[in-house]
Amino acid sequence: MADVLLAAKGVTVRFGGLTAVDNVELEVRAGEFIGVIGPNGAGKTTLFHTLSGVLVPSAGRLVVAGDDLTGRPAHAFATHGVARTFQTPRVFRDMTAEQNVRFGLEFAGRTRMHAHDAFDDARTILGFLGLADAADIPAGGLTPARQRLLEIGMALGARPRVLLLDEAAAGLTHTELEAAAQLIRRVRDELGLAVIWIEHAVRVLMNYVERVAVLHQGRKIADGDPRAVSKDPAVIEAYLGEEGEPEKKAA
Amino acid sequence: MRALGLRSILAATGVSAVVLAAMPWLLPDFWLSLALTCLMYAALAVSWAMFCGATNYLSLATSAFFGIGAYVTAWGLATLSYPVAVILGGLAAAAFATLVGAAVLHLRGAYFAVLTFGLGELVRHAITYFEKSYFKTVGRVIQEAPSSTTVYLTVLLIAAAAVCVCAMVRASRLGLALAGIGADEERTQTLGVNARRAKILGFALSAFFAGAIGAAIAVRWTYIDPTAVFNPFIGFQTVLIAMVGGAHTLIGPLVSSVVFSLLTEFLRLQFPYAFLILLGTLLILLVLYLPGGLASLMQRRWVRG
Repeated sequence: MADVLLAAKGVTVRFGGLTAVDNVELEVRAGEFIGVIGPNGAGKTTLFHTLSGVLVPSAGRLVVAGDDLTGRPAHAFATHGVARTFQTPRVFRDMTAEQNVRFGLEFAGRTRMHAHDAFDDARTILGFLGLADAADIPAGGLTPARQRLLEIGMALGARPRVLLLDEAAAGLTHTELEAAAQLIRRVRDELGLAVIWIEHAVRVLMNYVERVAVLHQGRKIADGDPRAVSKDPAVIEAYLGEEGEPEKKAA
Repeated sequence: MRALGLRSILAATGVSAVVLAAMPWLLPDFWLSLALTCLMYAALAVSWAMFCGATNYLSLATSAFFGIGAYVTAWGLATLSYPVAVILGGLAAAAFATLVGAAVLHLRGAYFAVLTFGLGELVRHAITYFEKSYFKTVGRVIQEAPSSTTVYLTVLLIAAAAVCVCAMVRASRLGLALAGIGADEERTQTLGVNARRAKILGFALSAFFAGAIGAAIAVRWTYIDPTAVFNPFIGFQTVLIAMVGGAHTLIGPLVSSVVFSLLTEFLRLQFPYAFLILLGTLLILLVLYLPGGLASLMQRRWVRG
């Protein structure tokens, strides 16, 4: 089995009296395609914040490519090959789409090469994402859906080994969602990246990922093959059984 | 201006500096001293905008850096040559900015502005106390000041260097990092930018020029005391010039420092009693109707053309 690229060991995040992430263990290996699901408020995004160094966990350790980065700033995670997108696109609105992708290449991306040479060029990355025509347009002028794609492009510019996607397909139509999922799988296949994907559209996600972790009230209650996980009574109880109206589920 | 390459900017700066270097032999004293003020604010505003314009920090520390530079000259001119004092003044200000930056650059907005304003006061009082306790004096008389031509040429050199360095920074990875920090600091970090280091570096670099200007200009006053050199007005004026010009550009603060200095002087001579009222009104109008600064006017014209 491939080496562990990213490991969360007993990661816990407390906000005052609230425990948002509770003693989560997660190991990610090269080439894995992992989904993270859970009801609203389950701690998915907070877990991502710790995995990318944006938030320092209250307890637990984070090991990236063999180095313990617990407590280090986010740029250390990025230069170690962890790249992420944000739930609400955070593109540089005044820069062109191409400059946005080049930003990652200029910083975290400088320290490594992509597995695939073609991805060393901002225009190629944009073309791969279907954004070639937007290269010279300021990112703030793109539709929200295309800004989400551009976020993936920015992350790819950082030449990651692990790609964290936080609801990269939110607000897309069903067809667009399928296209996005195929795109993400192609990224994984062509670059050999590990991809961790948070998504609310659980059914589509389950069709594409090869492993799924379920968070509920900050705890990881399941982790494994999607088919097995979807039959897990604890998961059905916590999440899948209420999928029809997830917004009613108390966080 | 963005369309201009780095080489053209450097070449244009070089040519302008050579032309301006002839002024001491062409201009009468009054105009030369006005040109000196223009150059001083050009260096201060351009270097301020290099850091603050890109990152959206509002620093009022310019008067602190300026005063530190001036005091290096006041203390050192007896033993050091003028150029050495100027360089040391810049380095002292940059070192101070590095220390302070490491401590306070995580603050933003009004907190940062108030804190940097307080810095000037802090250094002023510290130096007053130091001078009183150890030298039993408040001010110092500068002896053997260099000629006004030397001062002019030195300030011109610093201003030209400031423009060149700021143009190079804007074209560099540091400039890209600073612009990214201004837009979304956390996002730049997730893309691998060491934001803390970039900010300290940018802040110190911009302080170097303010300190060097302070050290170079100090010899114009024959008598130096903390109240004169740690003048908050210099900090405010720098911010105003940069913002009126368009702090996110290089050319904006440059043009604005000339316009502003000439305008201030003209209003002061024509309306000695009302000039501050007029200047204030003009500023309010500019901020209201031209929030992008003078640079946005020029950009609009270029886009149309």
